Amino acid sequence: MKLAFALAAATIFGTGAFLLLHRDLVRVVLGVVLISQAAVLTLIASGLTRGAAPIYPLTEGAVSDPLSQGMALTAIVIGLAVTALLLVLVLRVVVAFASREIDEVAEEEAERDAALERLHGREHADEEAAAE
Amino acid sequence: MTALALALVIPWAAGIVLALLDGRRRLVGWLAVAVLAANVVALVVLAGQVLPDGRVEETTGDWPAGVGITLRADALGVLFAVLSSLALLAATVHEVLEGARERVFPGLVVLLAAGLSGVFVTGDVFDFYVFFELSMTAAYILATYGGTRRELGAALVFTAVNLLGTFVFLLSVAGLYHVTGTLNMAQAAARAADVDPNAAILIAVGFFVAFSVKLGLFPFHFWLPTVYTGARPAVAAILSGGLANIGAYGLLRFGGEILPDELGLASTALIAIGCASILYGGVLAVSRRTSSEMLAYSAIGQVGYVLVAIGIGGEVGFAAAILYSVLNALNKTLLFLTVEMRGAIVGAVFALGALSVAGVPPAGGFVGKLELFRAAIDNPAVLVLFFAGSALSFVYVFQIYQFDFWRGARTGSLSGRPQQAVVAVVGLAVLAAGLWPEPLLALSHDAAAVLARAAG
Repeated sequence: MKLAFALAAATIFGTGAFLLLHRDLVRVVLGVVLISQAAVLTLIASGLTRGAAPIYPLTEGAVSDPLSQGMALTAIVIGLAVTALLLVLVLRVVVAFASREIDEVAEEEAERDAALERLHGREHADEEAAAE
Repeated sequence: MTALALALVIPWAAGIVLALLDGRRRLVGWLAVAVLAANVVALVVLAGQVLPDGRVEETTGDWPAGVGITLRADALGVLFAVLSSLALLAATVHEVLEGARERVFPGLVVLLAAGLSGVFVTGDVFDFYVFFELSMTAAYILATYGGTRRELGAALVFTAVNLLGTFVFLLSVAGLYHVTGTLNMAQAAARAADVDPNAAILIAVGFFVAFSVKLGLFPFHFWLPTVYTGARPAVAAILSGGLANIGAYGLLRFGGEILPDELGLASTALIAIGCASILYGGVLAVSRRTSSEMLAYSAIGQVGYVLVAIGIGGEVGFAAAILYSVLNALNKTLLFLTVEMRGAIVGAVFALGALSVAGVPPAGGFVGKLELFRAAIDNPAVLVLFFAGSALSFVYVFQIYQFDFWRGARTGSLSGRPQQAVVAVVGLAVLAAGLWPEPLLALSHDAAAVLARAAG
């Protein structure tokens, strides 16, 4: 059972990581969602016990571990909130850049850096000239 | 209600209300400042209770111990909590004086303060994740503050990378729960010694990666320059002076207290990564010509010192790491706030911050460097590297000082007097830490003693 959970979590995490490295922003969001699901699955797997539902008053015999269920639920809720946030962020980026490719965002930053570099290079040349 | 509960409830309740109000109004901004100030007061009162007795513990919701979530304030947590809320307070006053540009700004900063207070006073590993995510979520939105393409691009990178970091952290939490069967930090620390070393190492690596991403250490730093230069100065100050403390605190708490054996085992690796970070940050900062870029790379270099001190370990190493994180957070808050300002006081304050980064007396950074040298005294190679790193930082900060203030590279109108007063106050704090270092030194040794005691 542990092996099954471990394999499933690993596959989901791997797929998520692959998507996260994608250029398309929506796929990046999907990658984050998958990775959050891998974490949730691991949380469930971390407390695997067989038993009755852990509802008070307790019945005779073993009860299943309520803590990992509680953690998984919390993690799902947080994951949902974060996904919504990330989608809104992507939407704003898409509207602002009129593109959903991460390359365009990166390109603009590279251009800005290059412009700054040119400016500083020119200033440096001026300083050198002034020093001579 | 105790100060411990108040420190969590005040910013949390007020943050929800403030998030509904229009933060562009002056009044709402000042309300947020008042809430942050109240939070600082609650934390200082809490510190007053914690420091003589050692710790304050409370179980939430009147549950029996072992069922409810424990809140636990000790010297280490309180020190970082007070520091972070002061950084947030300074940055918020600074921004409100200029006029907040988006309606959510005051509410988000207050919610971030709630998350940060929670992270530093929780005694529960999963609760740590929840507060961690609460503060990160506020920070993701804060990173978009300003709303132009530049900030949006930076926020996207910040969010994607740090979400990955928090989920790696969550995976490690699951692992820790699986091997120790508890979420309580003190119990986990007691049981972690008997855990199969292979499993413990994997878990420790997960924690390390998660916190290194937060700190922006060398191999995990790639998001940092984009975000710190892209964000508005106040937001950059909040991120580097407040939020980044989670990374240093987490490394100390999870490495020093819960998994000390694994920390000892990885000591050499930590020192190597820290050294790489110092050199990488220093060399790249020297090549930068604008203050925000220089500060971003400097941030990568400065956290390297913290990691080396953690790697050296022991009470002396931890004390040096704590002291240096505190001073580094103060320096970064101060310097990031001055990035877009002009004026006579701004120049003086920038010079003071620059002295502190370089580790020259009388600024506070000198004491931090002194403690680092003391911790690394047995390790000549590290000492040489510290010296090289300090020399690099001296060059890069004063190079920027020269460009910006002597040649007048900074353009724009003079900053208002109240704003200059804010940075002057932060600057005086940095100066005071250098002129009268005993209180801070004693605090950092108290905090380190917490870890040393827990590690046995």
